Amino acid sequence: MQILNQNFFALFEQPQGFHLDMEALSATYRQLQNANHPDRFAGEGESERLKAVQLTSLINEAYDTLRSPMKRAAYLLQLAGVDTERVEQSDLSMDLLLEQMQLRESLAELPADDSALPQLEKLKKDVSEKMRARQQQFAELMQSEQLDAARKLFHEMQFLHKLTKEIDQGEEQRLDY
Amino acid sequence: MALLQISEPGGKPAAPKHRLAVGIDLGTTNSLVAASCGQKVEILPDDEGNYLMPSIVSYGTNSAPVVGHAALPAAVEDPANTIISVKRLLGRSLGEVSDDEQFGQYQFASTGVDSAPVLQTAAGDKNPVQVSADILSALAQRAERALKGKLEGVVITVPAYFNDAQRQQTKDAAQLAGLQVLRLLNEPTAAAVAYGLDSKDEGNVIVFDLGGGTFDVSLLSLQKGIFEVLATGGNTSLGGDDFDRALMALVRSKLGATEELNHKQTAQLKRLVIQAKHELSNSSSSELIFNDQTVRLTVEDFSAAVQDLVRQTITACRRVLRDAELDKDQIDNIVMVGGATRMPVIRQAVAEFFGKEPLTSIDPDKVVAIGAGIQADVLIGNKSADSFLLLDVNPLSLGIETMGELVEKIIPRNTTIPVARAQEFTTFKDGQTVMALHVVQGERELVKDCRSLARFELRGIPPMVAGAAKIRVTFQVDADGLLSVLAEELSTGTRAEIQVKPSYGLGSGEIEEMLQASQAHAQEDMQVRALREAQIEAQQLIDAIRAAETQDGDLLEEEERAQLDAAVAKLERAIADANKNDISEQTEALNKLSGEFAARRMDLHIAKALSGENIDSVESTND
Repeated sequence: MQILNQNFFALFEQPQGFHLDMEALSATYRQLQNANHPDRFAGEGESERLKAVQLTSLINEAYDTLRSPMKRAAYLLQLAGVDTERVEQSDLSMDLLLEQMQLRESLAELPADDSALPQLEKLKKDVSEKMRARQQQFAELMQSEQLDAARKLFHEMQFLHKLTKEIDQGEEQRLDY
Repeated sequence: MALLQISEPGGKPAAPKHRLAVGIDLGTTNSLVAASCGQKVEILPDDEGNYLMPSIVSYGTNSAPVVGHAALPAAVEDPANTIISVKRLLGRSLGEVSDDEQFGQYQFASTGVDSAPVLQTAAGDKNPVQVSADILSALAQRAERALKGKLEGVVITVPAYFNDAQRQQTKDAAQLAGLQVLRLLNEPTAAAVAYGLDSKDEGNVIVFDLGGGTFDVSLLSLQKGIFEVLATGGNTSLGGDDFDRALMALVRSKLGATEELNHKQTAQLKRLVIQAKHELSNSSSSELIFNDQTVRLTVEDFSAAVQDLVRQTITACRRVLRDAELDKDQIDNIVMVGGATRMPVIRQAVAEFFGKEPLTSIDPDKVVAIGAGIQADVLIGNKSADSFLLLDVNPLSLGIETMGELVEKIIPRNTTIPVARAQEFTTFKDGQTVMALHVVQGERELVKDCRSLARFELRGIPPMVAGAAKIRVTFQVDADGLLSVLAEELSTGTRAEIQVKPSYGLGSGEIEEMLQASQAHAQEDMQVRALREAQIEAQQLIDAIRAAETQDGDLLEEEERAQLDAAVAKLERAIADANKNDISEQTEALNKLSGEFAARRMDLHIAKALSGENIDSVESTND
């Protein structure tokens, strides 16, 4: 099947880049699912259904990748031939490390009960603003093909992403899930 | 349907033949059947006017099975031959149900633990498919009497959590009953359809289903006729019965009952309590008289008594929202399902949490069957055929066992299926040629707390140093939730493959219990994981030092060696004591202590390499 080798952006008829029209993305997703879902081939032969399973797996994977900013950024770098697994100490600026330390300290210092929730909320907002600024910058760097700078920025985004997850976990613990 | 029909002059309007199709809610406790009666889909009652049919089948010698209300007395008098809650047996193996208390009154034929359970009754052996078929036949007969014609198709609802085996057996039961299954429909979707939330609407729907003994909450997104299950959750040990128990405890404390009540008195009090609960749905207070004592109950009393239960239902809603990464103000509709959602305390809590009144205009006991009836009418061709598509998710994470009996999740729960995901693993020992793969399902961090699905081996890995081989493990889940796993060694292309039915016999209850357990144990699991990782790291360090001592032991002074061995022994004790902090400290200490040794070895090997001697040969000759 031709689709199987397609670039995720091409599959979803989106220009390759960090900024995406999310509404168009989900509309295309529904269209693709509607046309290819195995339920649509319920009455047909084994091979048709198998093809549908493969195809929808790919559609789901592509959608999952494009929908998530972190996965999308990694995918863009991967398409440009950049190894995102390799991180060196020198890739991370002193400023970033200081910023991370400060954010982490303020997270660790919060009280362990739900009185910390408003502060967690604020911390989350801070982090997400920093993330947004970096995403904007990342989009520009990819646009102008400054790949090494984009890779470094991606690693910074990974730090922030991990921090966001930890804030989420902190919230969950205090919300008693 | 307000348009007038205009027929060609002279010709008779070709009256479209109305084909008979019904929707069936095949429930654990009660079942219902619904059909389109003219404009509206309605629940079809029995001759006595009962809408609900108890899902009970009684088998006697030489007589037809008795189903529904008529079988109620037999459930008390002849429990061994009267099957209740057969839905809980569907798709499970004998091994899984034979020790389960709730099936204690039945005699199971000894067919082998992996085969389907067979119930021994006065009318002979019956499997869960046959019992379900008898319930379906009774519902179909009710429908055919009411509709005065033969049924051409049925839509049967199943819990969103139902696995493939359970779905297949539901379908088998319908076939056995001589019914044509148009579609198995998920219960939350059916409920959403009942409220007319179909192709015209767009948005996010919460389906809040509080039954007698279980609580399910699903979040569906609806856009252009596609229902996407974004997340599901709930609690199998929470239901309307718990609210009754809480109120009962309240009444007993108000009675100041010092003496124990006997069985009969308890039953009598329970009846009064339930009656009071119903009254409190419509008025602010209620009185009950028990043993010449009058107890006054107010809505406030009741709310306080069930506060904790209500909070649990809201917590589950919050969790589902979180899983779907949505805010509560992004929810457009809340659909209430299950008799227990009639309680105002529940409705208020839900309305307050979402900032929006839940939809309650359809009887919460009937809403699922009505949705199924609507879909049946569409699928049989009585209505326009813009049917919807349901995109499902896998309810539990799928993963693989890694070192230290830890689970590496490959497909996290709530991932839309079909899906394929791959992950690379490597060998642990030098020269390892076989890799054992253990596929597990669950949210916990340790293998023993998850459900084992399959074990298989990848053989013929070329011998390499530990960590050099690359083995790609691919998980593929199809639209029915069936998993297949492929392991492949990348340099040689050696493969091993296995088909797994991940959820065979894994009932919705178990799935939810496993989820709850994972939530309850998340913290503990994280600690266990940290401990295991520390233990593995420590052991690797010890192994490396031992190997180095064997190889280059002559680089060490006797005293140094004694110190090193003492530190190794200390770390080994720490590993055995399973104290994470202690292990980390001792690992750190050993690392420091062995630093000098490592540096000397490095110097030696560099010197040898520079002098033209190959390091590998040095190592092998020193062995």
